[in-house]
Amino acid sequence: MKAKANRKKQMLTRRDFIKTSAAVGAVAMASGTSRIFAAGSDKIRIGLIGCGGQGTRDVVSCVKSSPGVEIVAMGDLFENRLQQSLDKLRKEVPAAVKVAPEKRFVGFDAHKRVLQTDLHMVLLTAPPHWRAEHFGAAVEAGKHVFMEKPAGVDPKGIRSVIRAAELAQQKRLSVVAGTQRRHSKKYQETIRRIHDGQIGKIVAAQGYWNGGDMLGYWKWYDKDGLSDMEWQCRSWPWFTWTSGDHIVEQHVHNLDVINWALQAHPEQCIGMGGRAVRNLGNIYDHFAVEYEYPEGVRVSSMCRQINGCTDRVAERVVGTKGAADVDQGVINGERPFKYDGPDPDHYVREMADLVQSIRDGSPINEGKQVAESTMNAIMGRMSAYTGRALKWDWAMKASKLDLTPPKYEWGDLPMELEQIAVPGKTQLV
Amino acid sequence: MKKKVIQKTRGLSRRDFMRTSAAVGAGVLALRTSRIYAAGSDTVRVGLIGCGGRGTHDTTKCLSSAENVELVAMGDLFKERVDRCRRTLQRNLREKIKVTEDTCFVGWDAYKQVLACDVDMVILTEPPHFRPGHLKAAIEAGKHVFMEKPVAVDPVGVRSVIASSELADEKKLTILAGTQMRRISHLVEGIKSIHDGAIGELVGGQCVRLGDGMLGWGANTRQRQPEWSDMEWHLRRWLFLTWLSGDFIVEMHVHNLDVMNWAFDGPPVQCVGMGGREVRTGPEYGNVYDHFAVEYEYPNGVRVEYMGAQIDGLSGRNDQRLVGTKGRAYTDFAGVVIEGQNEFEYAWDRVDPCIKQHADQIAAIREGKRLNEGRRIAESTLTSIMGRMSAYTGRALKWDWAMKASKLDLSPPKYEFSELPMRMKEVAIPGKTQLI
Repeated sequence: MKAKANRKKQMLTRRDFIKTSAAVGAVAMASGTSRIFAAGSDKIRIGLIGCGGQGTRDVVSCVKSSPGVEIVAMGDLFENRLQQSLDKLRKEVPAAVKVAPEKRFVGFDAHKRVLQTDLHMVLLTAPPHWRAEHFGAAVEAGKHVFMEKPAGVDPKGIRSVIRAAELAQQKRLSVVAGTQRRHSKKYQETIRRIHDGQIGKIVAAQGYWNGGDMLGYWKWYDKDGLSDMEWQCRSWPWFTWTSGDHIVEQHVHNLDVINWALQAHPEQCIGMGGRAVRNLGNIYDHFAVEYEYPEGVRVSSMCRQINGCTDRVAERVVGTKGAADVDQGVINGERPFKYDGPDPDHYVREMADLVQSIRDGSPINEGKQVAESTMNAIMGRMSAYTGRALKWDWAMKASKLDLTPPKYEWGDLPMELEQIAVPGKTQLV
Repeated sequence: MKKKVIQKTRGLSRRDFMRTSAAVGAGVLALRTSRIYAAGSDTVRVGLIGCGGRGTHDTTKCLSSAENVELVAMGDLFKERVDRCRRTLQRNLREKIKVTEDTCFVGWDAYKQVLACDVDMVILTEPPHFRPGHLKAAIEAGKHVFMEKPVAVDPVGVRSVIASSELADEKKLTILAGTQMRRISHLVEGIKSIHDGAIGELVGGQCVRLGDGMLGWGANTRQRQPEWSDMEWHLRRWLFLTWLSGDFIVEMHVHNLDVMNWAFDGPPVQCVGMGGREVRTGPEYGNVYDHFAVEYEYPNGVRVEYMGAQIDGLSGRNDQRLVGTKGRAYTDFAGVVIEGQNEFEYAWDRVDPCIKQHADQIAAIREGKRLNEGRRIAESTLTSIMGRMSAYTGRALKWDWAMKASKLDLSPPKYEFSELPMRMKEVAIPGKTQLI
C-alpha cells in the first residue's frame, strides 16, 4: 500500500514538477511548492499557528494521516497554551515532534515567525478572528495551508480569504479547511447521489446544530485583573469579534454541507436570535435563519447552545423525488439509499487528502468554499443581530463590517467589542 | 385514534347535556336554540362578552353583515370598557344597539349574565384565557357562538373547546372562529388549487411573520398603579402575559399557522422550537417572548419553518409559502401566486372577510345549517401552543402528546383581584422551564 502510494507519488511528482516549472517559474517554485522534492526528502514539515485544543488535535490527525509528517514550529498568543499543546503532542505523537526551543513563538507576531521557519505547510488554528490575516500571510509566504473553520468573522475578513485563496491557486498551494464532513465517505456518497438527481430537483433543505452550552469545552476566564485584550482573547469563543458567534464558529459545518449539496451559496437571508440563558461574553445562544438560494429554494437553519434542550445536529435536503438525511447517509423516496460502508475518521482523512495533494503536486483548494460557507453563517448572524434581511451580494461587496480591534496590544478594548447586539437597534454595517 | 377521542368527548357531551338539561331546564333549551324560528322573526339577537377593541370591532362587523342583527346585551370585567364600547357602538350603529342599563354587565360573572339574557348568539372576545370557559357556558346555554382566535392558551383549554364544539353539533349550534383568512377570496381559491394538486405533493413550507413590538399597546396601563393587584395589572396588560394571551405566537400568529394547517389539511405531527425576549424586557411587557422560530413536521416528514417576531425596527414580513413537487405557492394578504407547472395568480376580490364570516354565520343560523369551526380553530390554536411550549422548554414535542397527555393549565388559583403565584409572572427559560 505504502510502496504503491510512493510510486504513484513519484510519478505524479515528476510530471507536476515539469508542469509547475512551466507555469510558475523556477524561482517561485524553488522557494515554495516543490522544494521538498528538489531537496530529495519526502518529509512534510509543518508548523502550528494557534496551539489550542483543536490545533493540537489537528496536528495529531495530520501526523496520523500520512507517513513522514513532522511538526517543526509552533506559535500562539500565550506561552502556557503553547506549552500545553507541546506536552500533549509529545505524549500522543512523540516521534513527529521536532520543535526546537527557538522555533516556539509567542505573541501577536508569532504567526509571522512560524512562517519564516523552514516548513511546507501550516495549520491555522488560532481563533477565527485571526484566520484571514494568518491565511493571507501563509499564502504570501508560499506555504500549503490547513485552516480550521470558520474562515473569518466579518465580511472584510472573508473578502481577504477569497483573495488569498485565489493567490494560493496561482501559486499552486493546497488549502484544506476543517469542514471535515467534506472528507467523509458517507457524506460524499450521499451528496454525490443528490448531485446525480437521486432526490430530483432540490426544493428545500434544513441544517441544525442544536446542542449544549459548551461550558465544558470552551474555557471562560473571569476578567479579574486581566486586560480587556487578554481576557477576551483567552475567552475567545464567547466574544463575537474573536469567534464570530456560535452560528459562525460551529454551525458553519452544517451550512457548509447545505452549500455543498446545493452547489451554491444563498442569495439572501433573514434571521433571528438572542440570549435566552447565556450570560457570558456577548454571543447569542440561539439563532434561526431562513436562507434563500438561487431559484427561490429556501433553507432553514437552526442553532442553539443551551443545556437541557432537545439536541439535533443534522443536515437534510428535500427534492421533488425524495429527501436525504445527509448526516445519516440516508435517502428516502423514489430511489432509497443507505450508506453502510466504512466512514473513516474525517479529521484524519482531510489531512491525508491534504498531505497527498502536496506530495502529488496536485493542489486542492478549499479556500473559497469555506470562505463562502463562513459568509453564509456571518450573514445569518448579521441578520439576527440587526433584525434586518440582507442580500449576499451586499454582504460580500458592500458591507463594511470589520470587527478588528484598533490595536493588537495588551490593553483596553472599545466597549462595542463586548456589547450584546439588540435586534432592531444594532445597525447593519 | 381520532375515533377514540370523539367517542370519549361524545360521552362527556352526553353527560354534560343531561347536566345542562337538569340545570337549565328543557323548556329554556328548546326556546333558546330555536327561538328565532319558533317566534317567526328573523331578528338575530346578539350578546357581546368582552368589550375591548376587538369585541367592538367584531360586533360592528357582525351587525353590519346582515339585516336585523341587534346587540342586546354586553359584559366585560371592567366597567369603563363596557361604557366605552357601548358609546362607540351606539355612535356607529345607532338603532342596531338595543342594549339597556339592565343588559350591561360588569365583573367575573358578566358572561353568565349576558348568557342569561334573551340572546341567540354571543360574541366571545375576552382575552384568550377565558375562551374555553366562556364557550362551554355559551354552548351549554344554547347560544350560537362567534369566538375570536385564539381559543385557548393551554392544552387543557384546547380539549375543553373541542368538547364544547362537539356538544354544539349535538345541539345544532353554530360556532364561527375569528380566523378571517379562511374567507379571503384568494386564499380560498389558492388553497383549493393546492388541494387539487396545483403544486403536486407538499414537501415543505415557510410561514414568516415579523412585525413591530406592539409597544404602544395599552399606553395608559404601562405604569402599574399602586392600587392594582397582580390580577388587575395582568388583566389590563393581558397581551403580554402568557396565561392570558398565550403569547404572540398563539395570540396573533395563529392566523398564519392556521393557513399552514389549512394547506396541509390538518395539524402537524411534531415540532421543535426556540425563542426568547431580547427587546421587550421591561415588567410592563409581562412574560411573553418577542421572537419564536419553530420547525413543524407535518405527516410524511414534511418540515415547515415558522418564524415570528414582534420587535420594532425589523425587516417586516407576513407571508406563507408552500413547496410542492410540481411548484410553489406564495400566499399573503394581497394574493396567492402559484409557480411551476400550473402557474396562476389569485387576487383578492376586495370583499371584507370579517363581514363575510359573520354573514356566513347569520345565514347558517337562519337556515339551520351546520357551521362549526370549533375543532379546526382548536387544532390551529394547539399548533401555536405546542410551538410556544417547545420554545419555552427547549424540548421537541409531539402533537398527540400535547393533545392527549399534556397537563399544562395556566389558570390562576382563583378568579379574584388578588396577588398571583410566581409561576404566572415568570419568563420561561429554555432548558429549565419544564414541559408539562
